[in-house]
Amino acid sequence: MVNLTIDGKQVTVPKDATIYDAAKSAGIKIPILCHDKKLHPFGGCRMCLVEVEQMKGRQIPACTTPVTEGMIVSTMTPEIIQARKLVLELLLLKHPIDCPVCDAAGDCDLQNLTYEYQVNSNRFQDEKFQHQIDYQNPLIERDMNRCVHCGKCARICDEIVSFGAYSFINRGLEAKIGTEFDGPLNCEFCGSCVSVCPVGALVSRPFKFKARWWSLNKVKTVCSYCGTGCQLTLGVKDNKVLTTVYDENQGFHNGQLCTRGRFGYQFVNSDKRLKTPLVKKNGKLEEASWDEALGLVRQRLADAKNVGASSVAGLVTPRLTNEELYLFKQLFNKGIGSDNIDHSAGYAHDALTAGADESLGYPASPASISDIQTTNLLLVVKTDAYETHPVLGFEINLGVKRKGVNLRIVSDKKGKLSKLPNAVTYVHKPASEVLLFNALAKVIVDEGLADSSASSLPGYDDFVKNLGACAPTAVAAQCGMSADDITALARDYANAEKALIMLPIGLAYPGHGKALAQATINLALLTGKIGKEGCGVLIMGEKNNSQGAADLKVHPVAGGLDAMGILGGCASGTIKTLYVVGENPVISYPNRKKVEAALDAVEFLVVQDLFMTETASKADVVLPACSFAEKNGTFTSAGKAVQRVRKAIDPIGMARSDFEIFNSLYSTLGGDSFKGLSEVFAEIASVVPSYSGFSFDGLDENGSVYSVANKPRFIPSVVDGQESTTGVMALVTGSALNHCGTLSLYGEGPMYVCPEGYVELNSGDAKKLGVEDDQPLTVKSSVGEVKLKAKVSMRMPEGVVFAPYHFSDMSINGITNGAPVTWVTISK
Amino acid sequence: MIMPLINGLKITLKHMFMKPVTLQYPDERPTPSPNFRGLHALKVSHSKAKCVCCYLCPTVCPAKCITVEAGEDQDHNKYAERYEIDMLRCIFCGYCVEACPVDALKMTGEFELANYKREDFVFVKERLLEK
Repeated sequence: MVNLTIDGKQVTVPKDATIYDAAKSAGIKIPILCHDKKLHPFGGCRMCLVEVEQMKGRQIPACTTPVTEGMIVSTMTPEIIQARKLVLELLLLKHPIDCPVCDAAGDCDLQNLTYEYQVNSNRFQDEKFQHQIDYQNPLIERDMNRCVHCGKCARICDEIVSFGAYSFINRGLEAKIGTEFDGPLNCEFCGSCVSVCPVGALVSRPFKFKARWWSLNKVKTVCSYCGTGCQLTLGVKDNKVLTTVYDENQGFHNGQLCTRGRFGYQFVNSDKRLKTPLVKKNGKLEEASWDEALGLVRQRLADAKNVGASSVAGLVTPRLTNEELYLFKQLFNKGIGSDNIDHSAGYAHDALTAGADESLGYPASPASISDIQTTNLLLVVKTDAYETHPVLGFEINLGVKRKGVNLRIVSDKKGKLSKLPNAVTYVHKPASEVLLFNALAKVIVDEGLADSSASSLPGYDDFVKNLGACAPTAVAAQCGMSADDITALARDYANAEKALIMLPIGLAYPGHGKALAQATINLALLTGKIGKEGCGVLIMGEKNNSQGAADLKVHPVAGGLDAMGILGGCASGTIKTLYVVGENPVISYPNRKKVEAALDAVEFLVVQDLFMTETASKADVVLPACSFAEKNGTFTSAGKAVQRVRKAIDPIGMARSDFEIFNSLYSTLGGDSFKGLSEVFAEIASVVPSYSGFSFDGLDENGSVYSVANKPRFIPSVVDGQESTTGVMALVTGSALNHCGTLSLYGEGPMYVCPEGYVELNSGDAKKLGVEDDQPLTVKSSVGEVKLKAKVSMRMPEGVVFAPYHFSDMSINGITNGAPVTWVTISK
Repeated sequence: MIMPLINGLKITLKHMFMKPVTLQYPDERPTPSPNFRGLHALKVSHSKAKCVCCYLCPTVCPAKCITVEAGEDQDHNKYAERYEIDMLRCIFCGYCVEACPVDALKMTGEFELANYKREDFVFVKERLLEK
């Protein structure tokens, strides 16, 4: 620690702190334009000039000067104020004074400083810039005339997002922030640059001119897309969510967001939202009152309960809050007496609820998000980890680039993560992950690299015996990797002091189930890399509350039917009443035809959703529910943080929160009536061991991370091999970067960037087929065929094609059947 | 006893033939002073409203009677898609005029604002445009 004096105040800070950090910790504000706490110091704007007594008469930038013992710093002498005024005058020389039409006004650092330093006149004269404004993309407007050259956009895009869309181009007075070849912006559109821009040079187009910054009501809540659990500040006006507001002090990610989080909020106030309950009359859904619709549902559930509760089933989305999921489970288990409940097609949470639960004794990851940056070696399963959880992808970027984390990726295709410094991507044959992990374990056992603690764990002998046939040389061909690569990877993993495995799971990844989770956990156990800082396996649930749903055991626990069983039951007639909450199985579950047939066959279908989804259109009763912005509650992130969701707006139309609907049904079907969320949360805390000690009002601002006690055991993971046939291509499904589930289809931002499905194939394969980008292709499997646009890329290996699963038109699930790989033929 | 009454009536009678002191509204119209704060008008320049929709007038308005909604025109410029003043709420303080950074708003001498329906007191952009 270093002691110094700033403006007469004694400050003690760590020795790697800068004067700016030290002043900030002492509550002294130093004005600055080019600094963000996530970024490396830049020293570009010269606003933070201070005087240090030891360096007589010189003005030095506070943001780039490290502190030294005994430093005496003054931040506000008349000379400094003069110098800052000069800087502002020079900036205002070129900056257009168009505050009345600039969206940044009110939240503009330059405007605030000009006001604070009373720069009313300018000693200099010059012409303004005449740069062309970039209106080419629908999300980010770039007006380089307003730019103050702080370089924050270029730095955040490079340092954190690792895309590098911007750079300073040209020299001297001509210098500006430019894109490649000074063309239109074409990037991931995460909007990080917009969030850090201190002026209005970069503005969000969906929010352009919608409201003034000061008139927005800012509500802190949690993003409702993926499982990362990013905190979000919603800008609300007149009961409408108009934008997301950047707050660099929010969450583990310091306010960093991806496209969906930042630009995908429009679904909340979408015109397509359901506003009234609908009841099917004469084959047509007609508007009804809540009493009528809910009465009908209540009646049918009560009737079904009397006949036999096993004929009732429920499918729920893990996008609901913990309290709602708990009530849903109570409604079915206690109110109706049925155990037929599930979410995410059954397999998408298998890795947690079966894999981790059996191996470790709890259905959660044996690691947390902070481990990503503290580990030495990161083993990522599939480059898709970036697409499924973009903000965790940013954490990987930071770990690799700042903390020197070694990145190893095993994937069936390359991806953005492969481009990180020193990253090694091992491309294997699709769906051979389990075999590959078993082979890695085999190498570690054979070479004596295993941790001494491993052999004493239960199940060790069985596990080693099961590895018998997994020697690298034996499985190399099946994995599509060389034996040397497998051995090298195993050695790297075993020899790393700390190593973390990241495993994304989700509806689009049928292969990432119980077996793969257990194979990864086995590997971590074998090398003793679990239960320590920077070690473990991070199983990343797909949806915002996938982890909560797993914790609350929203799946059959007493022999009930799982999702596939329920759909099978609907088709065969054993399930007569199906209650679907927020799920859209028609699009997101494999084998669309089968799902549609099952939903058509079921006698009474209730769908509770925000939108008239493909599933809702088949329903007998549709209940309008509330989005995350309209309710209070808690979500649990993939990193095991239980976080508060806060109500930002009143429910749209007649919509009611899922909590209210379940509570009403549950209380009339013989259960308790809960008075409020804190009562339900208290009950959850008493039932779910990991939540004990938490209270609804006592949750930490940044989320309370629950701790888990490892009860590890080895469970051999079984490989079910798949053989390719010649002339046939392997189709792997996945998540597109800008989408999450089917919810993002109602967000404008994601739909601007990625409006429709596509099939991505290798350029060699494309040449053979004679197709180019955007040409239609027919993809045919044993289940069916779809027509999709081609996307030619370098990242796919030959013979493997990729398609995102989110889209309704020509949905890829029309031709899948729930296997990790679908074998398809592709023709023009 | 009756004299005071007669004296009073005399004065009344005298005044009937004198020039009246008050303004004979509505036969005579007053000329409001240039700084009179009457009905608002949106100034026009190049056949368009000067207003750039900066939202400062609704922000400063103490009676919260101004509703503004911005739109983006073909040249990506900001203009007031909706500009409404609820005259029933307006207190004619003139802060809106003072706040306007582009001198797009003024207060006219128009003071006859009576009307029959409440809706008619909401002045939309077309009614506010300077004639």
